[in-house]
Amino acid sequence: MKMSFPQEASPTCYWLQRQTVLNLSLLKLHSHPGHSDPSLARRVLITNTLRHIQDELRGEGVPVPQSFSSDGSLLSVVDGYRESPAGCGVESHSEGSLTPVSRLEEDKHLLLYLSPSVTRQQPPSSSAIKDSFTSALAEIEDLCPTVGITTLFSSEAGHSLAQSDLNSDESRQTHLDLSEMNSSMDSASSLSDSAQTVFGHTPSLLADFSLDDFLFTEIDSLLFDSVPCSSSLSASLGASKVVSMVTDDFVKTLTGYGNGGSQSALPSNQAFKLDLNELDHIMEVLVGS
Amino acid sequence: MDGDGDGQSRWCLSQVKGAVDDDVAEADIISAVEFNHSGELLATGDRGGRIVIFQQEQESKSLPQCRAEYNVYSTFQSHEPEFDYLKSLEIEEKINKIRWLPQKNAAHFLLSTNDKTIKLWKISERDKRPEGYNLKEEDGRYRHPSSLTTLRVPVFQPMDLMVEASPRRVYANAHTYHINSISVNSDNETYLSADDLRINLWHLDFTDRSFNIVDIKPANMEELTEVITASEFHPLQCNTFVYGSSKGSVRLCDMRASALCDQHSKLFEEPEDPSTRSFFSEIISSISDVKFSHSGRYMMTRDYLTLKIWDLHMESRPVETYQVHGYLRSKLCSLYENDCIFDKFECCWRGDDSEVMTGSYNNFFRMFNRDAQRDATLEASWENGSPGCPLKTWRVSAGSRRKRNEIGVDCLDFSRKILYTSWHPQDNIVALATVNNLYIFQEKPN
Repeated sequence: MKMSFPQEASPTCYWLQRQTVLNLSLLKLHSHPGHSDPSLARRVLITNTLRHIQDELRGEGVPVPQSFSSDGSLLSVVDGYRESPAGCGVESHSEGSLTPVSRLEEDKHLLLYLSPSVTRQQPPSSSAIKDSFTSALAEIEDLCPTVGITTLFSSEAGHSLAQSDLNSDESRQTHLDLSEMNSSMDSASSLSDSAQTVFGHTPSLLADFSLDDFLFTEIDSLLFDSVPCSSSLSASLGASKVVSMVTDDFVKTLTGYGNGGSQSALPSNQAFKLDLNELDHIMEVLVGS
Repeated sequence: MDGDGDGQSRWCLSQVKGAVDDDVAEADIISAVEFNHSGELLATGDRGGRIVIFQQEQESKSLPQCRAEYNVYSTFQSHEPEFDYLKSLEIEEKINKIRWLPQKNAAHFLLSTNDKTIKLWKISERDKRPEGYNLKEEDGRYRHPSSLTTLRVPVFQPMDLMVEASPRRVYANAHTYHINSISVNSDNETYLSADDLRINLWHLDFTDRSFNIVDIKPANMEELTEVITASEFHPLQCNTFVYGSSKGSVRLCDMRASALCDQHSKLFEEPEDPSTRSFFSEIISSISDVKFSHSGRYMMTRDYLTLKIWDLHMESRPVETYQVHGYLRSKLCSLYENDCIFDKFECCWRGDDSEVMTGSYNNFFRMFNRDAQRDATLEASWENGSPGCPLKTWRVSAGSRRKRNEIGVDCLDFSRKILYTSWHPQDNIVALATVNNLYIFQEKPN
C-alpha cells in the first residue's frame, strides 16, 4: 500500500494533498458502513479535518461552502434524539429518534460541502432575525445576492420551470448518483432520495414525507437546509467528479471545485429559480396545514 | 528500533487459540482480551457477542520452565444482536470491553458490554450434586410415597465439573451513543460506563438507575468537535477517574468536587509540535486507550503513533513518550484512505509497572522497558515461532524488505493488526489478539 505521492515540499504537492484529503473526507462522511450506527467519534474526526481544510481555504481566499459552520454539520444526524435531561440519579431512557429526516439533512449537507458557493458573509441583519424562516430567506439572499432573490421569493410562482438547461440536467444526474449511493440505507433512504429529487425537479415532496416528520422536525431547518442544498446541485456538477474519482485528474477536479465565484454563480441561479418554486409550494402547504 | 543486540527477546510463544486458517468468520474476530485479578482466568470477547474464558491449569511438573497452559473454561453468549426499531439500525452484539470484578467468593464475576448494554455475568463451578432423595429417583421421576420403606439423607456426590455462566444484572438503556469503556471502581460497588459524550456511574446492584457524571454534549450538536474515547477509574482512589478525548487530552476528575464532573480537576495535554503538524494531527492525537499504572502514580495513554506515560502530578507534558510505529508518519494519507488511521489500539502495564506493551500492524507488538529504556518489536505468528522458542525481534525499515527479520514499511500488512492486549497481573505472561487468534506469550525466566 503505497503513498499516492511523496512527502511534500512544494506548495503544489501540499495543495494536491489537501485536495485529496478533502475528497476522501467527503467520501467517508457520505458512505455509510452498513446497517449499524456509524461511529460518532469517526464522524467528528473527519468533520474536524474538513473544517480545518475549509479554514485554510478560506484563509487563502478560496470560496468555500458556507454550510460548514453556519449550517448544521453532519453531526446533527445524531441529534435527532429526544432525551430526558441528564442529571443525578435520573434514569436515562432509551432514545427516540428522528432518523429519517436527520438522514435527509445529512445527505443535503454532503451536497453543501460539494458546492463552491459565494463567500460566506452573513448579512448584518441576520443577527437580528428571530424568525427562523426569515433567516432562511436571508441565507438565500446571501447565496445569491446578484439575483435579487427576495423579489423572486416573494412573487408568485411564475418562474419558468422549463429552464432545464444542461447544467440542471447534470445536476439531476448528480442527485441520482448520490441517491444511489444512499439507497443502501433503510427506509431513511427513500426520504433522502425524494428530498433530493424534489429539489431537482419533481414536486412530489409531500407524497414522500410523512406527517410525523413535519410535526417533529424544525420546519425552518428543513427549508433552511434545503435551499442552499438545491442551489449547490448544479454547482456540484464539477464536484461530483470529486466524489466519484478521487484519484483522478486533479486539475479537472480543481476546476470544478476551486472556481467558486462567478463561474458557478450563474448555474446556481438557474437552479435557484427552479427550487424556489418548489419552496413556494412547500411553504404554502406547510403554512396551510 | 531493536531491543537486544542479538535480536532475541526473552519472550516465547506459549499458545495460540482459534482457527489457524485464513478464512475467518466475522463473528469469530476477537474484540476484547482481559486477565482477571489473579491471572488465573483469561476472558476474550468476539464480534459474535460470545465470551470465552480460559483457565490456567495447575503448574505441571513435566515442563518446569513454562508456566501452565490456558485451556477453555467456559463459553457463553453474552450479547445478542438487537434491532433498534426507532432508528432502523442494528445494535451490534460485538463485545467492546470485558472487566473482571475482584473475586469475593468461589464464583467469578465479570462485566461485559457491547455498544449499548452492560451485563454482569457470574461464572460458577459445580462439581457436586445431591443424590439420594427420598421422593425422587435419580433421573428425576417422582417415587410413589407408598413405595417408601426407609428414609435416607441425601448426600453430595462428586460429578464432572460444570462451569455455569449466568447473567446476574443487565444494565440497559442508559447510553445514547456507543459505549467505549467500562471500569470497575476500587470500592467494588460501583463502576463507570462511558460513551462518546457521557459517562455514567452505576452501582452494581441496581440496574434501573445510573448517575450521569460527565456530559460533554453541547447544547447545539453542530458545535460538537470532541468526543470521549476512553475512561478508567483510579486503581486506588475511589473518587478519581480519567477520560481521554478525540483531541488528545485527558481529563482527571474528582467526584468529590461536584456531582457532575464536567469541570476537570486536571487536564493532561501536550502542546502540539508545530513541525509535525499535518491534516491528520488531530486524528492521530486521539486517545485510543488510557490505563493507570498499578501503583496509581502514573497513567499511560495510547494515540495512533505513540505511547505516553504521564505522572499524575504533572499535567503539562508526559514524562515518557515511546514511538510505537513512527515510520507510519509519512503514510498517514494512505492510512486515512483505508481507515486504518481510526484503529483504536489498547495498551497495558506489566504487573510491576516496569514495562508497557501495545500492538501495531503486521501482527507486530511493541514492548517498552521503562527502566532499561529499551524496546522490542515482536511478531505474533504461529508460523515463525514454535512454543518455547524465544522470539526474534524485528526491525522496520524504509522501502522493501532487506534482511532476515527486517521488513520494509511498504511490505507491512495493515489488515493484520493487534488492537487488544492484556498483561498477567503478576507473572510475565501477555495475551493479545490478532484478527483471527488469541496469542499467549511467556517470558523465559532467567
